[in-house]
Amino acid sequence: MNSLDVVGPQLAVLVAAGLVLLLDSLVPQQRRLLPVVALLGLIVSALWTTSWVGRGDYQFLFDGTLALDKYSVFFYYVFAGITATVVLASIDWVNREGRGQGEYYALVLTVCSGLMFLAASRDLITIFLALELSSIPQYILAGWGKDSKSSEAGLKYLLLGAIASSLLLYGMALIYGITGTTLLPEIAAAIKADGETYRGLLIVATILLIAGFGFKMAVVPFQMWVPDVYQGAPTPVAAFLSVGSKAAAFAVVIRIFFEGLDADFLSDDWSMIFAVLAAASMTLGNVMAIVQTDIKRMLGYSSVAQAGNFMIGLAAISVAGNEFTLGASAILLFVAAYAFTNLGAFVGVIAISQRIGSDQIKDYAGMWKRSPVLALAVAFCLISLTGIPPTVGFWAKLYIFNAGIRADLVWLVLIGVLNSVVAGYYYLSVARQMFMGDAEEDKKFRASPSITMALGAATIGVIVFGIIPMPLMSAAQDAAEIFAR
Amino acid sequence: MLYEYGHIGILVLIALIFPIGALATSWALQFVNIRPTSKPDVVRDDIYECGLRTEGPSRVQFNFRFYYIALLFVLLDVEIVFLFPWALVFDDVGWVGYGKGMLFIGTFVIGGVYAWRKRALEWRL
Repeated sequence: MNSLDVVGPQLAVLVAAGLVLLLDSLVPQQRRLLPVVALLGLIVSALWTTSWVGRGDYQFLFDGTLALDKYSVFFYYVFAGITATVVLASIDWVNREGRGQGEYYALVLTVCSGLMFLAASRDLITIFLALELSSIPQYILAGWGKDSKSSEAGLKYLLLGAIASSLLLYGMALIYGITGTTLLPEIAAAIKADGETYRGLLIVATILLIAGFGFKMAVVPFQMWVPDVYQGAPTPVAAFLSVGSKAAAFAVVIRIFFEGLDADFLSDDWSMIFAVLAAASMTLGNVMAIVQTDIKRMLGYSSVAQAGNFMIGLAAISVAGNEFTLGASAILLFVAAYAFTNLGAFVGVIAISQRIGSDQIKDYAGMWKRSPVLALAVAFCLISLTGIPPTVGFWAKLYIFNAGIRADLVWLVLIGVLNSVVAGYYYLSVARQMFMGDAEEDKKFRASPSITMALGAATIGVIVFGIIPMPLMSAAQDAAEIFAR
Repeated sequence: MLYEYGHIGILVLIALIFPIGALATSWALQFVNIRPTSKPDVVRDDIYECGLRTEGPSRVQFNFRFYYIALLFVLLDVEIVFLFPWALVFDDVGWVGYGKGMLFIGTFVIGGVYAWRKRALEWRL
C-alpha cells in the first residue's frame, strides 16, 4: 500500500486548511464559504478513513512510525467529528469577531491533523512532533479573542505547555537512553529483555511522561491552567481544548503505556500512579466545580474530574489475560461518549451566552421558558456528564467502573461513584436553574442554524447511543483489540 | 548503554569548571590590588559593536515588517535546501518524482500567495 494512503485523512484536512487560506486571501468577499470548505475537508477525511474499514490488515508505514490500525481509525473518526462540530459552533463567533477568519479555520484544521497524527504515531519522535503540531495552533487559538482575558489564556497555555513539553522530552530522552530506540514495540522488547536493571530510571521516565501528558489530559496536579484558559479562551476553542486535546492525549498515552511500557514489573507501578492521580482528579475537580459561578470555569473543573474518570481505565491495566484490553476499550468508549456530551454542553453554552451576553450560571435562570429546545438539549448533556441513563455518559461510566472492579480497584471505583454523586449536584443545579429559575426577561430566542446543527448532532448522539450503546461499545472494543496480548 | 552517559558526565564536569572558575577568579581578585576601576567613562559605557562607534541607543524600535521578511526568507531558504537533493536525482525519479516536487513547491506557492494577498510583502500598508 502506498505510504500516502496512510496519512490520507491528515492530508485531506491539511489541504483543506491550505484551501481555506487561499480562498480567504484571493476571494475575500466569499468569506462565508470558509467554514464550508473546512467541513468538506473533514468529510473527505472521514470518507478516506471509511475506505479502510473492513480491510482488517494492519499497516505500519514510514518505517513503522505511523500505524494504520483499528485504533487510529477509531480516533480519526472521533477527531473529524469533534473538529466538524467545533467549526459549526465557531461560525457565528468568527463572523462577529471579523478579523482573521481564514486563519481561524486553517488553525483549527491544523490542530485536527496534529491530533490525527498523534493517534496514529507509534514512535516517540513522531509523537512529539504530532503533539507540537496540534499544540502550537491551540496556543494561538486560545489567545484569539480581543480581550485581555483571552491573551492571558493564550500566554498561560503557551508557557505551561512549553514546560510540559520539556518534561515530556526529558522522559522520552531517558527512555531512549535506556532502550536505545524510539519505536514503541522495540522499546517494549528492550524493556522486557533487560529493563529490570534500570527499573528506578524507568519509573522516573514514566513519571516525566505522565507529567508531560498530564498537562494535556488536564489531570491533578497539572490542572492549574484549565479554569483560566477555558474561561479566557473563546468558547468554541475552549470546547476544542476540553475534548480534542484531551482525547488525543489519552490516545497517545494508551499507546505508549499499553504498547511500549507494558512490562509487568513496570505496569504495576504506573497503574498505581494513574490510580492515585485518578482519585485526586475526580475529587479535586468536582469539589472545585461546586463553588464556581461562571459556567465555563465550572465546565473546566468538570473536565478535570472527567479526566479522572478516564484514568480509571489506565489504572485498570493489571488485569491479565483476555481482559487486558478492558481498560483501554473503556477509555475509548468514554472518549467517544465524552466527545458527544461535552461538545453538546459547550455548544449549548455558546448558544445561550451569545444571546444573554453572560457566562454566569445565575443568568441561565428560566432558560426553559425562553428557549425550550436549547434548554432541553443542554440538560441532556449535563445529565450525560453526570452519568444518568438514558444517556451515553451512563454507559461510559458503567463500563469504566466495570474495568476498575475487574482490576481489583474497588477503592478507586468507590471514590468514582461518590464523586458522581457530587458531580450530579453541580451539573443538575445548572439544569435546575434553567427549568425552575425565574427569568429576568422572557423574550424567546432560537439558536442560529449552524449552532443548532452542532448541538443537534451532539445531543442526538448522546441520546441515541444512550439507548443503543452497542455500536459504540463494539467499535471501542475492536479498536482496543490491537493491545491484546 | 547507561554507562556511555559517563562521557556526558565528563562534559558536565568541564561545563561546571568554567563558570565556577570565572566566579572564583573574580572573587579572588578582590584580595589583589589590581581591581579594575569602577569609574565610568565614555569608552567603558559605550556599546560594543564590532569596534565601530555606535550612534544612538542600542534598544530602538524597529519596523515589525522585518519579521515578515525574515519569516518569508526562512521559508524560501528551507525550500531551496529541500530542492537540492531533488535536483540531484531529477533524472532518475521520472515523472512521479517531478510531480512530487511540484506538489512540494505548490505547497510553498500557497504560502507565497497568502503572504502576497495579505500584503506582507508591501513595506507600507
